[in-house]
Amino acid sequence: MNRAGRTMRAVFIAVPALFMAIFLVLPAVSGAVLSFDVGGRLSLGNYRALLGDRMFWRALLGNLAIPLGSLAIEFALALGLALYLGARRKPPAAVEVAAILPFAIPEIVLLAIARYIFIPRGYLNGALLAAGGAPLGWLRPGSALASLVVMAVDAWHVTPVVMLILLAGLQTIPPELYEAAALDGAGALQTFRHVTLPLLTPALVGALVLRGVDALRIFSTTLVLTGAEGTPVLSTYAYLLWSDSQEPRVAMAAAMMLAAMVTLMGLAGIALGRRFGASGVAA
Amino acid sequence: MNRRAGAGWAAVRAAIAAAIVLGAALPLYLLLKQAITPERESFAWPPLWLPHRIVGTHLHAVFALPELRGAILLSLGIALLSAALATALGAMLGYAMARSGAGRAAGFGALTAARLLPMIAVAIPLAIGMGRVGLYDSPSGLGLALVHSALALPVAALMVYPAFAALPREVEEAAWLDGASPARVFVLIDLPQARGALAGAFVMAFILSWDEFGYALLIQVTHRTLPPLLYYYMVFGDVGAASALALLMMVPAVCLVIALGPMLRGAMAAGGLR
Repeated sequence: MNRAGRTMRAVFIAVPALFMAIFLVLPAVSGAVLSFDVGGRLSLGNYRALLGDRMFWRALLGNLAIPLGSLAIEFALALGLALYLGARRKPPAAVEVAAILPFAIPEIVLLAIARYIFIPRGYLNGALLAAGGAPLGWLRPGSALASLVVMAVDAWHVTPVVMLILLAGLQTIPPELYEAAALDGAGALQTFRHVTLPLLTPALVGALVLRGVDALRIFSTTLVLTGAEGTPVLSTYAYLLWSDSQEPRVAMAAAMMLAAMVTLMGLAGIALGRRFGASGVAA
Repeated sequence: MNRRAGAGWAAVRAAIAAAIVLGAALPLYLLLKQAITPERESFAWPPLWLPHRIVGTHLHAVFALPELRGAILLSLGIALLSAALATALGAMLGYAMARSGAGRAAGFGALTAARLLPMIAVAIPLAIGMGRVGLYDSPSGLGLALVHSALALPVAALMVYPAFAALPREVEEAAWLDGASPARVFVLIDLPQARGALAGAFVMAFILSWDEFGYALLIQVTHRTLPPLLYYYMVFGDVGAASALALLMMVPAVCLVIALGPMLRGAMAAGGLR
């Protein structure tokens, strides 16, 4: 009886694991092999080709700057929102739904809306004009402004996720601590600095690990808003090499660089999570 | 706190609330407006903030154009199939997670793999490999459905695992002692117990597939699902059709917000894991 139970558990692990291996892990492994293949021989040629391409360096830089910027924006916004929504005087429920809504909208739809807003003859420039200002080239390829818009739009979509993790973290802080701080005559700023922030650290680290990995994988936001060459990142750069230049091997070399970055970030995240007892990290 | 400062704070709080609601409502309003105004008005410069003429042509086109109708059916089929597969396989893995350490290791390993592997590093070799077995760009979308279920599987497992863990082991053991096989116990006792979590996992997997853009772009290059189709309409300038399509894509999300309401928080937090 127990043996039959053990057999069933083994099958219940093996079948999903096999499925994951076939459709996610093995393709990545075969892609890694492909990235070292030049004319059927083992070689670093594809990686050398990358290093000689100026677009690769732009994509690498973009893949560092854009995630960093978008993380900074979304954490600032999310912390503010979480403190606001988690306050003792609850805001109306409609505000909470509105704060979560951007994440419920499919990403591609949100990007479609962002295009209406930021294109040269879009709503933002319309508003600027109406206010007596001059229209700006928000999405001009290669401009710092375009990178900034990409960061902001990316942050707009995922801020609710970070906010929910921080909100859950805030709710674990015992109210007695706030009462004690108030009795000791601590101001709002001091309470935040000495009570809220230290106790929120696990949630902050958890959210940072979760989002840090995602932020590095940015693809659709840059592709849809500025085109693959406008604000290049590694994913869109590899996509261009694959779909336009028909260079699957060099494309895989670029994809493997990204995979290495994400893995490093993930390992750093696991170490950080251990150190700070991060919450909200399932991976 | 004195009264004047209190009034000041109330004003600040009201301003924040207004900004949040505006930030959520304005984009949706613009989307709706673009979808129901004629092309010339959507492209007007300076832009018009209120619709002047309302037309149904774009919304009508969504259901009239064969290309669009096909894409809707394809997206729906892929989402339903991948949700069913992910839920079934996720239930298996979730059960193993609740009952053994090896199961938990497998579950968190699968989750880590799904989260750490960049889409582009998987999708390119997958497109090559699927080309060999006839699943690349297939009219049925079977290949994409399989990838989507692999992406959703670990999240589904994580969602149903607590429901299985909550069932006391004694109940299972009693059923075994009465002579029921483990498989029978799983189907008749464990699965019904996890009904709610399984439904949640199904919805999560459906939405994940319905919204997914990257794999769809690389694998369904001519038989497009809705997200890549919307991208093509945007880039190649059919704004009216793009807006109507975007509006249609919102339907499952809107249904979810209305149906779940207060439960939304948990569902969204789990969705954040995908």
